[in-house]
Amino acid sequence: MKSLLKIENVKKTYGKTSNAYTALENISFQIERGEFVGIMGPSGAGKSTLLNLLATIDTPSEGKIFMNDKSIHDMKEAALSDFRRDNLGFIFQDYNLLDSLTVKENILLPLAITKVPAKEIEKRVQKIAKVFGIEALLSQYSYQISGGQKQRTAAARAIVTEPALILADEPTGALDSKSATDLLESLSSLNANNESTIMMVTHDAFAASFCRRIIFIKDGKLSKEIYRRDQTRKVFFQEILDTLSAIGGEVDDVI
Amino acid sequence: MTLFSLARRNIARNFSQYFLYIASMVFSIVIYFTFVTLKYSDIVSKMTETSQKMGSLMSGAAVVLIFFVAIFIAYSNSFFMKKRKKEVALYALLGVRKRQIGLMLFFENLLLGVFSLVIGIFLGFLSSKLFVTILIRLMGYDVVAPFTLSTEAIINTAIVFFIIFFITSFQGYRLIYQFKLIDLFHASKKGEAAPKPSWIVAILGLLSIGTGYWLALQNLLTSEAWRILGMFTPLVILATVIIGTFLLFHSVTGFVLSLFKRREKWLWKGLHLMTISQLLYRVRGNARTLTVIAILSATTVTAGGAVYSLYYNINDSVKLADPNTFMYKQAANVDNDKVTSLLPATIYDENVSALFVTFEAKQLESAMSIDEDKRIYTVIDETTYNKLAKLQHKEELQLIDNKATIIDVDYHENLSPKYAGKTITAEKGTEITLKGYHDVPVLNFKAGMTLVVTNEHYKELEKQGEPVQFRAIGVDDATIDLSKGIASSLPDEAQFSSAPEDYQSGIEGMGSLLFIGSFLGLVFLAATGSIIYFKVLTEAEEDKSQYNMLYKMGVSAKEMRKTVASQVCVVFAVPLIIGLAHSAVALTAFSNLFSMDFTKPVIIWMLAYTTIYGIYYVLTVYSYNRIITQNNKNEG
Repeated sequence: MKSLLKIENVKKTYGKTSNAYTALENISFQIERGEFVGIMGPSGAGKSTLLNLLATIDTPSEGKIFMNDKSIHDMKEAALSDFRRDNLGFIFQDYNLLDSLTVKENILLPLAITKVPAKEIEKRVQKIAKVFGIEALLSQYSYQISGGQKQRTAAARAIVTEPALILADEPTGALDSKSATDLLESLSSLNANNESTIMMVTHDAFAASFCRRIIFIKDGKLSKEIYRRDQTRKVFFQEILDTLSAIGGEVDDVI
Repeated sequence: MTLFSLARRNIARNFSQYFLYIASMVFSIVIYFTFVTLKYSDIVSKMTETSQKMGSLMSGAAVVLIFFVAIFIAYSNSFFMKKRKKEVALYALLGVRKRQIGLMLFFENLLLGVFSLVIGIFLGFLSSKLFVTILIRLMGYDVVAPFTLSTEAIINTAIVFFIIFFITSFQGYRLIYQFKLIDLFHASKKGEAAPKPSWIVAILGLLSIGTGYWLALQNLLTSEAWRILGMFTPLVILATVIIGTFLLFHSVTGFVLSLFKRREKWLWKGLHLMTISQLLYRVRGNARTLTVIAILSATTVTAGGAVYSLYYNINDSVKLADPNTFMYKQAANVDNDKVTSLLPATIYDENVSALFVTFEAKQLESAMSIDEDKRIYTVIDETTYNKLAKLQHKEELQLIDNKATIIDVDYHENLSPKYAGKTITAEKGTEITLKGYHDVPVLNFKAGMTLVVTNEHYKELEKQGEPVQFRAIGVDDATIDLSKGIASSLPDEAQFSSAPEDYQSGIEGMGSLLFIGSFLGLVFLAATGSIIYFKVLTEAEEDKSQYNMLYKMGVSAKEMRKTVASQVCVVFAVPLIIGLAHSAVALTAFSNLFSMDFTKPVIIWMLAYTTIYGIYYVLTVYSYNRIITQNNKNEG
């Protein structure tokens, strides 16, 4: 089977040639279907830039990104929109929920966009709400619920369309440890039970320990790659910490 | 559930955000609709039929209004769109096609426009009744305003605003195409570049304004600059002042603020640091807005001030033109007894003897005179002048050295001839030397240019001119009806002149001018206030988290109110002061041109403007504080 995502020699520079800043350089890796990949690295390493490139809201300066063997940055605007709609789900650090819609409406927004029939929408929303434990909140407005509940809503919105790839940008960044654990466990079980492919950017070793594979980035370059295999989460957590101190990431930053 | 129904729901629930935008559109429509209703109303169209000037004035004002309303709506539209960028970006990220998002924004905007149009026309219909009543009052008519809905006005308004809405909706459509997705996401996070004030730019700004002022205050006829620039001078003045104002805001304000920043003793006390830094951070991005506000204020105050001054001076000009309440020339078929029978109790009723004498007056040529050597003057003697002056409670005149004096109420230093020392010669050789001019008339304007000579000269001239008799009557509280009654009993040859009649026509002409002037003034003022209001409240939304942080740091609500009040004060006061300065210069130039004293009405007008402007300030500070406290309460 072919890889879901293939990233080839991607480079991203910002600014004019005179004082250009290289955010990413020589990045190549692949993600297979059903993987749960974490991207780690200290602040400013280029994690979010990489995610923006995958999210197609930014374009690489050099190199190509293939998804299902299609170069996503060579697509036309309309095709790109369809591609995002059908293949990608996003979870942001700051949730990006619409305050004027209820939790339910926020979750069904992408389904409404894809013109799924109302009956089907209802079914899917109920199902995904159960996964994230937010059934009781469905009729509330997003400004009425807590940060952890907002993030679970955002995750539900990302997943409700059953996208080929879920992109999560520091999803636990603003959450307390209980909410973070709840969310990560939901993502983890989605990955295990539904074979959803998830790529999560984080600088938090605890969050990363839920992943199956972790790619480390430092100063815009790939630095190391580790697999969880059949280790327990605790052991994997320790391995992540060790790797981080080995490659010289700021240990302060990861605790 | 479709995307459109979600979008519609979004509008309904986000109404407070939409409210400001809709309110500003409704406001524009009300103003415009009221104005066109007046334009098409029976009373005004009757007036425009009789007076060409009034018609073109109304059309001109309508064009100014359209222009203004379009700018205003475009402005609030861009504010509104800025707020929605994130929502739009989310739709795009969830995979809605750009074209679809564009169409959605387009139709949403158009729908909001139509909605506002309906409300606006309804409110405008109500307000036009009020304004027609005011207009009639100002023009001194005594009729009840008819309450009619004009289809012409509705069609006119609908067409104008559909065009405006179509254009703004198209802007909304283009929003998604203009920006990269990543920019849309970070739109609200992007800061304004810190201003880098430069001496050169600051000095250029001051120089530019100085040039504009200097040109405006030049004498129209003798100035070299006006001669060279000719018809373009007003444009040059406008351009230099506008550019100068922009540069001023762009650099000079930055300088002043950096000076404050250096005084650490003062700066590091309470929230001064916050106030100055915020202003400094915003000031450059605001240079354009502040310029617009300053120029709008200047235009409003100048136009309103000029018209109001003329209106204010009508009474004085009538007193100058008609010192006697009624006056007419005796002629063969004049029935004096009938006039007497019409008159109520009079203060005085005099027969005045005068002479129409033709003079050779080559010496009196001036910049404005057409080559006319012969002039007919109405000659009266010193005794007659003083008798009338006494009756009219004016100072008596003392002719010395056997010299005469000319009565010239419109004397203008540059336009009128220099009278002093000049000699004019009657046809049969009597030479009269002038002492100068005198600006207190005793005969009505229709009697012609009056020459007051010594009693001796008068006797000498009696044989050289045509003797006439005027009947001058002084009446307290004369009505227009009385004036009309007398006028109808007199033949044309009597050249009847009447103070109440002239006052009435002055009020009619100036009243409508005043109405249009103050109406437009009101519009500009309201719009200026609204622009600042919009701007400041958008900033409040952006900054509320900062204030929440301060709140958490233990800053008291009182101190926060203080820093908000002073920040907003600068945004309001600086353009107001500059606008007032601009209009003071413009009105000085204007009053020089008319050689009238405008000080008092202009000060009244400026005070009125500043007061309403002040109300906007208070309102803005109040709303700003409300946003902050509300946010602090929610965030805890």
